[in-house]
Amino acid sequence: MGVDSALERTVEKILQNTEQQIVSSLKEALKSSQATLANSQATLEQEHDKILAEGKKEAEKLEKQIIGNADLDSRNKQLLLVEESIEKVFEKAIAKLQSAERGSDYSKLISSLLQESIDTIGTSEIIIQTNSKDKSVVQSLLSKFSGATLSSDAIECLGGIRVQSKDGTMKFDNTIDARLDRLKPLIRKDIASKFGR
Amino acid sequence: MSAQGGVQYSKIAEIKGPLVIVDGVESVAFDELVEIQTTDGQRRLGKVLEVGNRKAIVQVFEGTTGLSVSGTSAKFVGKVMEMPVSEQVLGRVFDGLGRPIDGLPDPIAEKFIDINGAPMNPEQREYPRDFIQTGVSVIDGMLTLVRGQKLPIFSGSGMSHNILAAQIARQAAVVGTSDEFAVVFAAIGVQYSEAEYFRRSLEESGALKRSVLFLNLADDPAIERIITPRVALTVAEYLAYDLGMHVLVILTDMTNYAEALREISAAREEVPGRKGYPGYLYTDLSTIYERAGRLRDKKGSVTQMPILTMPSDDITHPIPDLTGYITEGQIVLGRDLFRQGVYPPVNILMSLSRIMKDGIGEGRTRGDHQEISNQNYDAYSRAQEVRALAGIVGKAGLTGVDLKYLEVGDGFEKEFLTQGVDENRTIEETLGLQWKVVSLLPKNELTKVKDKFIDQYYKER
Repeated sequence: MGVDSALERTVEKILQNTEQQIVSSLKEALKSSQATLANSQATLEQEHDKILAEGKKEAEKLEKQIIGNADLDSRNKQLLLVEESIEKVFEKAIAKLQSAERGSDYSKLISSLLQESIDTIGTSEIIIQTNSKDKSVVQSLLSKFSGATLSSDAIECLGGIRVQSKDGTMKFDNTIDARLDRLKPLIRKDIASKFGR
Repeated sequence: MSAQGGVQYSKIAEIKGPLVIVDGVESVAFDELVEIQTTDGQRRLGKVLEVGNRKAIVQVFEGTTGLSVSGTSAKFVGKVMEMPVSEQVLGRVFDGLGRPIDGLPDPIAEKFIDINGAPMNPEQREYPRDFIQTGVSVIDGMLTLVRGQKLPIFSGSGMSHNILAAQIARQAAVVGTSDEFAVVFAAIGVQYSEAEYFRRSLEESGALKRSVLFLNLADDPAIERIITPRVALTVAEYLAYDLGMHVLVILTDMTNYAEALREISAAREEVPGRKGYPGYLYTDLSTIYERAGRLRDKKGSVTQMPILTMPSDDITHPIPDLTGYITEGQIVLGRDLFRQGVYPPVNILMSLSRIMKDGIGEGRTRGDHQEISNQNYDAYSRAQEVRALAGIVGKAGLTGVDLKYLEVGDGFEKEFLTQGVDENRTIEETLGLQWKVVSLLPKNELTKVKDKFIDQYYKER
C-alpha cells in the first residue's frame, strides 16, 4: 500500500513537472512565434513599401517617357508644317522674282552687283555670265566697266551676274539665286516669326 | 550674315592628306570657312589653317578623297564656321558638323554663333557649386558632379563607358530647383551601333526632349571630329547663358578627337610631340575643356563630362595625362572590376572629384555626405590591403577585424558599386547604401564620421 502511494506521488510529481515544462515550452513558443510574427510584420511592411516605391518609380519613368515622346512628336510635326509653309513662301517669292520687270531699277541693281563683284575679285579684267533674259541689260552697262566682257554662254539663274577673272583663277557668284541662298537662314527666321514661331 | 559671298579660287597648288593648298589668294582670314567644290559640283566644308605668301592651307572637314588639283575650287566664305542656334535644337539629332540627320529641317536660328566660342572672362567666372544627380551611386556618392565642373571619365577599349555615358545622359538632373536641365551629347568617331544605342536610349526613355545629339560616326571623315565637340559646346553655351539652363555636355570619345588632331598635324609636317601628337595638344584640349563653367549674373551652367579611352589602359598616355591637368578630377574605370562583371566598373581609389566638397553637404545633398564618403574610401582601401594580405597568408591568418574589412570590400562592390543600367538611384538611396556598407564594421572602426551621424544612420549588420 505504502509503496503504491509513494509511486503514485512520484508519478503525480513527474506529471506535474512535465505539465509545467510543456506549459512553459508552449509559452516560450508562443512568445517566440509572436516575436517572429512582429519581426515579419516589419519586414513585410518594409517589403511592401519597397514594392510600392519601385512601382511608383517605374510609373514616373513611364510617365516621363510617354509625355516626353508625345511632346517631341507634336513639336516635330509643327516644325515640318512650318517648314512646308516657309517653302511655299519661297516658291512664291522666286516665281515673283522670275517674272519681275527688267526696268531702270533692275539696271541699277545689275550695275551695283557688277561693281561689287569687281571690288571683291580685285580686278576689272573679267568675263560676265548672266541668264538670257538679262543679257541686254548687262550689255548696256559694259561701257561703264572697262575690261569687262560678256560671255556668249547664258547661265540658268533668276537674275544677277556671275563673274570670272580672265585668267580663270577667280570666280564670284553674284546671282540673285546665290544671294538668296546665302540669306536663306535669316529669311526663314523672318517668315517663321510671321507664323508666330 | 551678309548677302555678299566670297571669291572662288580654282588654282589648287596641292592636296595633301586632309589639307588643300590654294594658291593666289587675297584677303583670306585665319579660321575662315571655305567651301570646296569638286568637279561634279559636290560641296565640302573646310577652314583656313594658315595664310601666307598668297597661299592658304585649308583643312577639309569631309576629307579630300576624290578631289583632284584640276577641277577643284575653293570658295572663301568670308566668315568663320557658325552654328545656328535656338531653343528648337532641343530634341534634335545632328551630324558631327551640326547638320540635321533626323529627317527634320534645319532649326530656325535665333542666332548664329562662332563655334570656337568666346573666351570666358576669368573675372566673370563663378566657382562651380551645386549638385548634379546622375542617379549612378558611385558618382553621386563618392565622385559628385558639380554644376560648372569638368569631370572626365578615363576608360579603356571595350569597357562599358558608353553604357555609362548613355545612363548619365538619361538620368542626370538638378535636384531641389525648378531650373531647366539639358544634355548635349557629342559622339566623336563612334561605331554606328553605338550611335544608334545612344539615340534609341534617349528616345525610349523620353530624355531626347531635353537633349541635343551630335553624332560623328567612325566612318565619317576623321577631320570632322575636330569640329564635333566645338559645335556641341556652342549649343551648350547658348542653352546655358542665353536660355538659363543647366547643361551637361558629354563628349565621347576624346581619344578619337586627339587622333584626328594628330592626323592634321602630321599632314602639316609639324614637329611631333609625345606619341606623335602635336606639341600643342594641351592647349588645344584646353580650348574645349575650359568651355565649362558658370558666369556671374547668368543663371545657367555648362558642366562637361568628356570620356576618353586610354590606349592599352595607360593612364600616363598623353591624352589622359594632359586631360588630367586641365580637368577637375577624373573617374577611372577599372579593367579588373569590368572583368568581374561589375557595372559601372569605377575604380574609386584612382578616381577623384576635386570640387565635390562644394556641391554636397547640408542644403545641397545631406549633412553626412562628405564624411560617409570618406569612410567608404577608407574602408574600401583597407579592404584592398586586406585582400592583398589574404592572397599571401590566406584567410586563416587574418584577424576578425580584417575579415570584416573583406566583407566590406565585397559589400561595397556588390551592393553599392553594382547597379542596373536602368537603375536611377536618388541621393538618399545612395547615401543609405553607403551606410549599409560601412555598417558591416563595428562602430569603433568608423573614425571618419561624427558620432551624431553614427547614431542616426548606423545599423549594425
